[in-house]
Amino acid sequence: MSTLRTLRETPRHLLVCEKSNFSHDKSRHRHLVETHYHNYRVSFLIPECGLLSKELKGLVMEIGPYYSVKHLPLHELITHEFINTFVKKGSCCALTYNTSIDEDNTVALLPNVVSIDLMDLSLHPDSKKSERISWSFKEKKPLKFDFLLAWHHTGAEESTMMSYFSKYQIQEHQPKVTLNTVRELQCPVLQSSELKGEPEEACSALELFDWLGAVFCNADLNNESNDFISTYCCPQPSTVVAKACLCTITGLILPEKIYVLLEQLCHYFDEPKLAPWITLSVQGFADSPVSWRENEHGFRRGGEHLYNFVIFNNQDYWLQMAVGANDNCPP
Amino acid sequence: MPAPATAYERVVYKNPSEYHYMKVCLEFQEHGVGLNAAQFKQLLVSALKDLFGEVGAALPVDVLTYEEKTLSAILRVSSSGLVKLWSSLTLLGSYKNKKCAFRVIQVSPFLLALSGNSRELELN
Repeated sequence: MSTLRTLRETPRHLLVCEKSNFSHDKSRHRHLVETHYHNYRVSFLIPECGLLSKELKGLVMEIGPYYSVKHLPLHELITHEFINTFVKKGSCCALTYNTSIDEDNTVALLPNVVSIDLMDLSLHPDSKKSERISWSFKEKKPLKFDFLLAWHHTGAEESTMMSYFSKYQIQEHQPKVTLNTVRELQCPVLQSSELKGEPEEACSALELFDWLGAVFCNADLNNESNDFISTYCCPQPSTVVAKACLCTITGLILPEKIYVLLEQLCHYFDEPKLAPWITLSVQGFADSPVSWRENEHGFRRGGEHLYNFVIFNNQDYWLQMAVGANDNCPP
Repeated sequence: MPAPATAYERVVYKNPSEYHYMKVCLEFQEHGVGLNAAQFKQLLVSALKDLFGEVGAALPVDVLTYEEKTLSAILRVSSSGLVKLWSSLTLLGSYKNKKCAFRVIQVSPFLLALSGNSRELELN
């Protein structure tokens, strides 16, 4: 019997659903966006919209760049020069490229490093700790990895990443952007005050999250319960919108840039719009060792860690944060 | 007139998803083998039947998306049926006497997670 029970089990997953308003003093939306560091995919959906505004399109096109370097020795990320040039003058993220966290060594650089505090090293460059770390990376175990890097600089000077890593085959990349307009899209009806939905009146946050996945995977939303191939359909109640704008950006995307995009999407409702809500979803790198802040992230079956905002026309918002088996509960 | 601001609320759901989603790809040893969506679905049903019999074959599986050119699909199955479906796909070895294998590319209880795969990021 226990074998049969095992056959029906799946690893645990968690979905946190919050609702709040952007104008609330204690709203944590900024903190949650800016502490989710290694973002692979950012998508937004705007119902009743055929063309993006100039401001939004400009933001989307300038959300990069990010960089790749090859065979970078790990000790290069703890040198005083690197810390002074990049870590102290903005926030720098890095993640090993093409390493699977369930199989290989993986390294990540976070803007506020805890395990090896780069700020501490730079304040005490001749300390025993600093010397030992440097020795272990250089002599004892000269680890080299291909990295993806991104840097948000707070100063006015141009990015110097290209010249700094010139001997490591550094390349600049622009995130890939796809823009679609979908016609006659069935959208769930939502009430911002009802996270769990209301029978016959509004869909729940769970149903919305699932539906959003169907839209971005291009699933058919109009099946019948007796169809052979698929029985999936849009949660009810729903309405049909004539058109909707979908945008997807993939690459290594900085949390600071995502926050700017979120703010711009909030401004979408500064003028009256037909759409009652819009969504912004962000998916983390499956092989990042952390999800939010220093919370450990693992790859059990999926490596998923993602979040989604539903932005309502009165500045209410829903925030869903989803993680898989080897992750702690999102903050 | 927009509704007044809502109060803060937080709900944590443990294992809320009654479904799991799989992104799969069918590979044949020889080229030129094609299946339409209905044939693909029938193949899933027969894979379940081969391993788990008639009861297994009755497990509801939805083919949410199907691309005939690449023989890839996103499937939806009840969470309690995931292991049965996955093991059936693993052990399927042929279709109409042609050798083939299912590759499972992604699995998640969240369909939104299957809309992107960071392991497929290519740098130009």
